[in-house]
Amino acid sequence: MEIMRVKDDLVCTRRVPGLQASSLRVLQNQNGSLFVATDPVGVPPGKWVFTASGSAARWAMPDAQVMTDLTICGIIDHWEE
Amino acid sequence: MKIMRVEKTLVSTNRIDGFGHRPLLVVQEKEGGSRSVAVDAVGCIPGDWVICVGSSAAREAAGSKEFPSDLTIVGIIDHWTGENG
Repeated sequence: MEIMRVKDDLVCTRRVPGLQASSLRVLQNQNGSLFVATDPVGVPPGKWVFTASGSAARWAMPDAQVMTDLTICGIIDHWEE
Repeated sequence: MKIMRVEKTLVSTNRIDGFGHRPLLVVQEKEGGSRSVAVDAVGCIPGDWVICVGSSAAREAAGSKEFPSDLTIVGIIDHWTGENG
């Protein structure tokens, strides 16, 4: 799992049915690259989170049928870079 | 599999149900390198050199095929002194 910071919400109305109604977040990793992840937790911007990628990302969703490859798994209580 | 070093434990109270109360550790591939989070299936302490598996092996090693882990610690290396070891 990677450590990333939530930058913002992402609104994406027109999407494939496979993505369902999942909430999306823009994340930034420790090198500064941007990613989009599905969010089953409900994380506000600014929080540090850890994410699962690949097929683990699908199992991290309440419904494993959601077509994602990056999912937020939890909020890190304390993190200092 | 990757050789990694355990840096510290990761505290995450608000997490998805799939993770249960499994211990999470911050691991580093080399000193000063980028940090990842791994599920601990063995019971290691900060400073240990460990081997980690990724992809679907990480899910099974963490307990079940449905466990949402993409990096799991599967062993503690008895003797290892880093890159030059």
